[in-house]
Amino acid sequence: MSHAPTGSPFARTEVLADGTALVTVGGSWNLDQALPVVVIKGDRAKVVADGLVDFDSALPAWLYANFKNIRQLDLSALPGRLQSLVQMAEKASSENVAGDDHGLLEQFGSWGVESGHSWGRAFEHIGHTAWGFLRMLVGRAKVNWGDFTLQLQTAGVDALPIVALLGFLTGLIMAYVGLIQLRQVGATVYVANLVSLAMTREMGALMTGVIACGRTSTAFASQLGSMNVSQETDALRALGINPVEYLALPRILAVTLMVPLLGVFATFVGVFGGMVVACAGDLSVEQYLTQAVRAITFKSFLVGFIKSVAFGFIAAWAGCYRGSVAKRSALGVGEAATSAAVLGITFIVISDAVFAVIFNLFDL
Amino acid sequence: MSAPAAILTCADLAIGHGEMVIMDRLTLSLAPGKILAIVGPSGCGKSTLMRALGGLDAPLGGRTTLMGVDLNAAEGKERQDILRQTGFLFQGAALFSSLTLRENIEMPMREFLRAPRKEIRQLAEYKLALVGLADAMDKLPSEISGGMAKRAGIARAMALDPAVIFLDEPSAGLDPMSSGRLDDLILRLREAFGTTIVLVSHEIPSILRTADFCVYLDPDTGTMGAYGPPKSFLQAGQPPKVHAFFSQARFD
Repeated sequence: MSHAPTGSPFARTEVLADGTALVTVGGSWNLDQALPVVVIKGDRAKVVADGLVDFDSALPAWLYANFKNIRQLDLSALPGRLQSLVQMAEKASSENVAGDDHGLLEQFGSWGVESGHSWGRAFEHIGHTAWGFLRMLVGRAKVNWGDFTLQLQTAGVDALPIVALLGFLTGLIMAYVGLIQLRQVGATVYVANLVSLAMTREMGALMTGVIACGRTSTAFASQLGSMNVSQETDALRALGINPVEYLALPRILAVTLMVPLLGVFATFVGVFGGMVVACAGDLSVEQYLTQAVRAITFKSFLVGFIKSVAFGFIAAWAGCYRGSVAKRSALGVGEAATSAAVLGITFIVISDAVFAVIFNLFDL
Repeated sequence: MSAPAAILTCADLAIGHGEMVIMDRLTLSLAPGKILAIVGPSGCGKSTLMRALGGLDAPLGGRTTLMGVDLNAAEGKERQDILRQTGFLFQGAALFSSLTLRENIEMPMREFLRAPRKEIRQLAEYKLALVGLADAMDKLPSEISGGMAKRAGIARAMALDPAVIFLDEPSAGLDPMSSGRLDDLILRLREAFGTTIVLVSHEIPSILRTADFCVYLDPDTGTMGAYGPPKSFLQAGQPPKVHAFFSQARFD
């Protein structure tokens, strides 16, 4: 009988009179070679060796991959050590339940169910946070106040430079665009009203909220996600300490407190940014400030402040929530940080729209 | 007939942490296809010795060779070629947490083999099937138990059909059935591919079943307390503490 030259692995298939597929393997099988392709029809097969020079785990792996679904497989004609290597893999596999292949519809259904669970977990976390806050008020929650002061610093004071820069540029851009438009109707003096009102009611809070999502939410998600990976949150639970109260509450409180203050700061810096452009153009400093003070009413200030409080809460909560449900892997922590920023910014924009409707209803 | 050249040797080896020597005057050699067990009380330096033998840590003194090459003197490609022919199972399995079990096994194959993607995939599936994880191959390490992670770590250690496999406490965390199957796997690997295996273990029944040689590290003297076939450690004539360690551990 002729076969392929020594050195290259080969497999020949023929069908016997009783329908059994007879597969002959031979040559030298090793991990670095391309292996032959074999197609088996029917559910009975016998494998024999002819001119088998040597093999490493490439051959048992090939046999396992190609013959694991054959109902009647006869390997008795193969060398004993090869038989045992294939049978050992088959035995170990048969002790486990076979995995299912999911169809497209089933995958879509699974995605829907998982999304539902995800929203459920999100609302559950909000509930735990609110309950923890109530327990804190009556002095029953175990809160890490060391984290609270640390976050006042890192989420608040440390954010001042970036808030100042972005607030200044926002005011500057609005004034620039406003001047171009208002000049056409000879109303450039109202650029001060435009910038002051927009910064106070909208942009001061919105910009600060977005910055908090970028800086703080991602940091919280990474911190809590890493603690999840190293089972620190499990250790807290084992000690009878609620991780939401101990870890999330001080962070959420600190950010909810600091973001409104940063929002007020961003508003004033933005108004100043607008003044730089306006005064470089058509207005005097005195004109600009007079118009700005007239435009900023207590109502506008209150609207911006209420929004800031909500945005601060959303940014901190998104980080804590995504961190607490992060998968226990390096990839999971990265995903948690990304999704915290996305979730935070999305919720901030949605809630901003809701606020617009509510304030309109209450004539604020 | 002359004895086969030793695949692994150490001569007058000193090991430790930083500058602190915890074991010295360690001399042994192992022929290809043999199984060596390192035993001793906790903290005596078993894992440190295994790391030194595998070339992961430089010894504080003496010399180790793997396949005839002094790993501490070898550099670049020579060192990489030798390390490619070894497989390591670490105590905590050390699986890459962001990769599935299959991807963990495929990773060294993709780096070192020129085989097509499909064959790498079937090879990885086979290795996982060998350790009984055929149905968990798409799971992440965070989604499996400690015992399963250990088995996946063994599958990764076997990925490239290494000549020498180092196993740090392979049976720790496994149920008796899995532990017995692991013993079978170790013996069959040796039988099928002539793999040399060095293992650190506290499982005396498993050592008696699988190991050809055993080295007992004695923390009191800071060197080898005994070296020989593990069954001989149960016989009279051994140092009392070695005999006591084996007898006690066997019936725990």
